[in-house]
Amino acid sequence: MAELISGRQLRRVATIGAVAAVVVLYLCMVGLVEAFKDRNVVTGVITLGAVMLLAVPLIAGYRAALPARDPSGPTPGPAQRIVFGLLVGLIAGAVLGVFVLIASAVDVRGVLVRISPPLLAFISFGLPSGLAQLAITGVGGLVGALGALLLVSPARIRNAVTSGLVAVLFMSMIEPLLRPRLEQLDYTAISDFLYKAHGLTEMASILCFVVGAGAALLWQPGNELVRRSIEAAPVQTRRRIRGWTIAVLVVAVLILPQVSGTFLAQVAVLVGLYLLLALGLNIVVGYAGLLDLGYVAFFAVGAYLTALLTSPDSSLGIGLPFFVALPIVMLGAGMTGLLIGAPVLRLRGDYLAIVTLGFGEIARVLFESDALRPWLGGVQGILGIPSPFPVRIDLQLGTTHIFATGPQVLYYPIFAFCALAAVFAYRLSNSRIGRAWNAMREDESVAEATGVSTVNYKLLAFALGATTGCLSGALFAVQLGSVFPGSFDVFVSITVLAVIILGGMGSIPGVILGAIVLIGLPELLREFVEYRILVYGAVLVAMMLLRPEGLIPNRGRQRELHEAESEEEEETLDGDLMPQRGQT
Amino acid sequence: MRFRLPQRFNLVSTILWGLRIVVAVLVLAGSWATLSSGKLTPDAWRELIVFGIAQGSVYGLIALGYTLVYGVLFMINFAHGDVFMTGAMTAFFVARNFGESGFINANPIVALLIIFAVSMLTSMLVAIVLERIAYRPLRRAPRLVPLITAIGASLFISNSIRGIYGEQSQSYPSVTALQGRLDLFGIPILKTQALVIASAIVLMIALVYFVERTRTGRAMRAVSEDKDVAALMGINVDRIIVTTFAVGGLLAGAAGVLYALVFNEVDWFMGFLPGIKAFTAAVLGGIGNIAGAMVGGLTLGVLESVGPFLLLGGANVPSPNQLRDVIAFTVLVLVLIFRPNGILGRSEPGR
Repeated sequence: MAELISGRQLRRVATIGAVAAVVVLYLCMVGLVEAFKDRNVVTGVITLGAVMLLAVPLIAGYRAALPARDPSGPTPGPAQRIVFGLLVGLIAGAVLGVFVLIASAVDVRGVLVRISPPLLAFISFGLPSGLAQLAITGVGGLVGALGALLLVSPARIRNAVTSGLVAVLFMSMIEPLLRPRLEQLDYTAISDFLYKAHGLTEMASILCFVVGAGAALLWQPGNELVRRSIEAAPVQTRRRIRGWTIAVLVVAVLILPQVSGTFLAQVAVLVGLYLLLALGLNIVVGYAGLLDLGYVAFFAVGAYLTALLTSPDSSLGIGLPFFVALPIVMLGAGMTGLLIGAPVLRLRGDYLAIVTLGFGEIARVLFESDALRPWLGGVQGILGIPSPFPVRIDLQLGTTHIFATGPQVLYYPIFAFCALAAVFAYRLSNSRIGRAWNAMREDESVAEATGVSTVNYKLLAFALGATTGCLSGALFAVQLGSVFPGSFDVFVSITVLAVIILGGMGSIPGVILGAIVLIGLPELLREFVEYRILVYGAVLVAMMLLRPEGLIPNRGRQRELHEAESEEEEETLDGDLMPQRGQT
Repeated sequence: MRFRLPQRFNLVSTILWGLRIVVAVLVLAGSWATLSSGKLTPDAWRELIVFGIAQGSVYGLIALGYTLVYGVLFMINFAHGDVFMTGAMTAFFVARNFGESGFINANPIVALLIIFAVSMLTSMLVAIVLERIAYRPLRRAPRLVPLITAIGASLFISNSIRGIYGEQSQSYPSVTALQGRLDLFGIPILKTQALVIASAIVLMIALVYFVERTRTGRAMRAVSEDKDVAALMGINVDRIIVTTFAVGGLLAGAAGVLYALVFNEVDWFMGFLPGIKAFTAAVLGGIGNIAGAMVGGLTLGVLESVGPFLLLGGANVPSPNQLRDVIAFTVLVLVLIFRPNGILGRSEPGR
């Protein structure tokens, strides 16, 4: 062993293996594997639960095969690295095997509620104990070695294989979306070819893999070329390209509900509501740099104000039309923003976060309380909010026939408000106000010294954020037709924060991407609902550790967050522990 | 796009003064109405106060964790409430086992000590892992970054526990030895409450001894003063920071069992509100100040238990106890706005 693997390498392999083992056990105990063990990816071949479990040794094997950061040690050859991956996978598999052995001998369900016999049978491939342990360890080792092999192989192949796998996973995940629509449009042949029992068929999965891998292989050299030529192009051309991209996206968004059917429109409405919230919070957090954890309060105020003003059943009972009420709601929201903002502005960042969290909770408790029940309806909330939008649209425009019902109708106004908010926020970020916010975020004292009235600009950020949040609340109330205090808990604030953090603070494309990923995807994975907040928490931690600037970063923000990088270098070296992968 | 706000714009101070006046009027009018109506007997008030002290000691113990970490790292360990919850939830299974086997009544002292030990060790372990994974790599990052991580970690821990142990709330077995009342200087106190207060005092004294008298405690204070200089003096800063988290975790674990004894019920979400309230307590007493955490905890506990009845009871507000969280959060907001250094806090410029 001494020649094959040095002591230091052995330690590293053992550490990664141990982390992988912990993550695997965690996935089993927390119930993620159980929740997804019946969701087919490729029917009869592999389920999502298995994918989740196998991803751990795969990633760990890949990780183990990465060259060590310590340059003084011997550089391992490819064969050696594959051995590393194999070892890591073996460790993870062996630990899981032992766990299964213990769990099937002793009943642990009193404490670990998710460790059920079906789960154990699933993990041990239905084999009897002994054989099962061998199989689990073997599969772990094999997958770990595959992960290492992936790293050792040339970049083109690696990318091709990865995108092939992603394509398969993606196609199977959009099944609840695609299949009903295909059947509705009488493409039953296609849907039967693609899907069987909520998973891909074997043929379809091979096809998806080939298409994904092939596309990556062909696209890769071209991709580089395109990027280079865009970067070389003059500013006007680049701007024009961007304009066209946005135009194409807008058109795509406009025709989306026509093509996709009601389910996707419903998901899109939800995404839109959260996107609006996120755009508002982005002004407060991303632009002004004030961490507001009580953002849900504005959402709630918007919804309740709308309910009070428009519902004939509310305590006011005046039943104003929605568009008359909307300006009042927004004004009220702005005032709430000022009222909440004014006292807390002099606080330092982290205190501000906690105080706003407190405000959010106060709002929820008040809405829920019996004390305000005569006005706000207490736990029962307010019902009977009329929708200003028609129930169905049936239009004949030339040769095209536009037909929409329910969520498809609401989709357009929400999309319009989102677009409006996005344009507004974009223009704002490049204005004098935006620059003042930038200065304030980077260094408050310097900003103050150069003549930025920090208090006023913070208030402005709060008020604008509040107005946008209220708008979303108003639309939410209309969409539901009723408001309940239960819809306005702290998790709304956290969700919106996670959207911004994932996408990138201060970056509008980032926020849009974040809303689609964090709000849209969980709707496709129904089993997932229970684990949403868990994943959001993990996203917050992982993003802060790995990529604090977000997926689509705002340039200025990126620079700020990496300012301390050079000092940090030595610290991160020993901080090289695998982040929790349990959530992806 | 030119936009200019008026320069001498006193909106903020106006609102702040308005807030002060509103709060003062509400407090005075509410208390006057209640006291003059005589709705509650002196006995009932005493009951509320003792309950408040017991609850406040639990808050104080959790608050110590916030204060210790804040003193060393200047960050709010938002996940501390969940560290507290993890201990209480894990020890529940031991307690349930003891309850079913009758061990808890046959030998209450040993049983309780074991339950405490399990809870404290679990919380300590979680706190150490938390520091290692979530906070250490970010030590030199901008201030909001570790705070966001902490929020994420808090959600991650609580929802993991929800997944692992299930989401229904569990009730601790009752201990016969702790039922009934104890006569303390003529004041009858529930035995559980007496135990909670006594344990809090013992732990507090142990902590003060640890920080003031031991080598590690001195190193901790040195790191709190200046990390770089402490490192030059041969102190292993990383180890001291981990120790700080571990001590905070131990105290939170103890608080978890005490909380379970007072309220009888534990669930995966129990860390959230006590966590924020303990933070309030830490700020109220002066964050970074050990005695302050306990003082703040007791003050907040009493305010929270007496407040709703005192302020709202007289005004015929239905079910005032629903609004206790509002009182706690209002205290938090008011303290942070008007006296961010707390009752016992040193006034430090630039905070």
